[in-house]
Amino acid sequence: MRAWPILVLALALSILIAACAGHDWATPADLFRAMAGAPDLRSRLLFEWRMPRVLAAALVGALLGLGGTVFQGVFRNPLAEPYLLGSAGGAALGATVALLVPLAVPQSFVLPVLAFAGAWGATMLVIGISRVSGAVDAAGMLLAGVAVAAILGALRSFLMLALSDETVSLQIVLSWVLGGVQTPSWPVLGLLAVISAACLALTMGLAGRLDVLGLGETMATAFGLNVNRFIAFAVLAGSVVVAAAVAFGGLVAFVGLASPHIARWLVGPLHRPLLPASALVGAIVVTLADAIARAALPPAEIPLGLVTAVAGGPFFILLLARRLRT
Amino acid sequence: MIRAVAILGALLLAAPVQAAPVQAGPVTVRDAFDRSVTVPEPPQRIVTIFASNTEMVAALGLADRIVGIEAYTRYPPEVLKKPLVGGRLGFSVDEVVAQRPDLVVVTPSRQAASQLVDPMQRLGIPIVVLLQRNVAEILSNIRLLGRLTGVPERGEQLAATLQARLDKVEQRVAGLKPPSVVMITGRLGNGLLLVTRPGTYTGDAIVRAGGRLAFDGGIIAQVSPEAIFNSDPDMLLFAGADKDMKELIGRPGWSDMRAVKSRRVHATSRVELLIPGPRTIDGIEHLAAIFHPATPSQ
Repeated sequence: MRAWPILVLALALSILIAACAGHDWATPADLFRAMAGAPDLRSRLLFEWRMPRVLAAALVGALLGLGGTVFQGVFRNPLAEPYLLGSAGGAALGATVALLVPLAVPQSFVLPVLAFAGAWGATMLVIGISRVSGAVDAAGMLLAGVAVAAILGALRSFLMLALSDETVSLQIVLSWVLGGVQTPSWPVLGLLAVISAACLALTMGLAGRLDVLGLGETMATAFGLNVNRFIAFAVLAGSVVVAAAVAFGGLVAFVGLASPHIARWLVGPLHRPLLPASALVGAIVVTLADAIARAALPPAEIPLGLVTAVAGGPFFILLLARRLRT
Repeated sequence: MIRAVAILGALLLAAPVQAAPVQAGPVTVRDAFDRSVTVPEPPQRIVTIFASNTEMVAALGLADRIVGIEAYTRYPPEVLKKPLVGGRLGFSVDEVVAQRPDLVVVTPSRQAASQLVDPMQRLGIPIVVLLQRNVAEILSNIRLLGRLTGVPERGEQLAATLQARLDKVEQRVAGLKPPSVVMITGRLGNGLLLVTRPGTYTGDAIVRAGGRLAFDGGIIAQVSPEAIFNSDPDMLLFAGADKDMKELIGRPGWSDMRAVKSRRVHATSRVELLIPGPRTIDGIEHLAAIFHPATPSQ
């Protein structure tokens, strides 16, 4: 159980580093001054813009960690990831509509709402399809997920081609799809925190049954678990978590896949410790990746999803190789 | 060059007017997003995102007040040394704020508006969003920037000078039969081409220069060469270098086009026709000379 203080400390350190990082690096003293309400422009930039962004990144990462853990638990497959059941495609379609179709409602409101609706709706569609076709099991859902993701991806590409013009650039959609944490206002950040806490509670409620399911479907049935029912429920719960992450963070590659693995090495396979540990790992990874995205190539910002994949990928491979050798 | 001198002349004419005390107090304008933008006093530190906005502010004689530009701005020379606040991969809130601007001018392209409007609003830095869907909007942007930067007379004067030149072109091409035109503005890796569509300032520029778009354009900006062949324009324009144009029309099939056969193929200036600023008027004059060469011009 030495893992917990390390994880919490690492997260605190990541948040501190990320809050300092930017095209214009700040010192912890600058941050303190900004939090104390210094009126100068730079302090206000740190307080109004950078800090909410850093905390939002941490929460998005935590949600991805939770979502990934649920999906890997449900499908008992180490390659399962949160975007498996069409949620990425649905979210991207929703976001594309929000970004490219001129609607009467402000984009800062429409974007998360439509991204959430897209992610959640796509997963509902997948479950609906597998239910109609009578294959409400993991394999049926995965196949339906692949098909739905392909259709939604094509629809999004068409919308991007059809609706882009000189004023609403394709790049906006592309960069959203590649991931990027929105910078919420402090009240919206509070909302995100509440949502994240609710998601943690929701997934923790699944922990015991995910452990039972991990024994295999036959054993789980023997333990009195209605396997197909639980799978559908857990997938819906997982997709709420993922949809929330997507709504605030765009599509962030790789974190939902890697975080549960890293967490499992630290706290073992039981879901009750695994879920919060995975959330912490996800938060650390996204916080640091977002800091790199914001600071590495001034004056540009690298899409977050590229950073998580390019920087996280080799790191994950290294861990995996060391793990396999021992 | 003559035009540049003309603009300069107009500016010099405007200068004495400017020497009168600058109107003090706050100025409020409505921008292209229908946002109300207020500057408490004439801005002295302006970040201009995109070549078009930089050129307009510079054309108002305010190049020395520009404190930040983006990486694809190439004109005018005196602003090229200014700090860069963005480029291909987007725009840096940190870098913009580091210039301590009292006005930011953006166009909603390449994420500029979506990345910068929200943070600047939160920090209370005035940020104005400009659109250029037609040539008239370019002139109204110049007037708006003049008002916002405390030099309304210069803005009016510059816009009036440009309008007079537009009127002259309009008179020159009035009654002449407009050639149907396809303007190719870009080439994609998969062989598709980008063409000028109606509802854009470049399309408007072609019409004002006495041309007609052969292509009313579908909903997608990229078209296949076949669609261009089918539209059978009187004239083919290529926004870019002569060399690249020759390479394109040297490809199989192109030589059968009526415009190519009759040698009515022209390379045109990208900076004049694809940057919506004062130089677009130069572009319209040049297009008019291409469309209607028989008309005595200049």
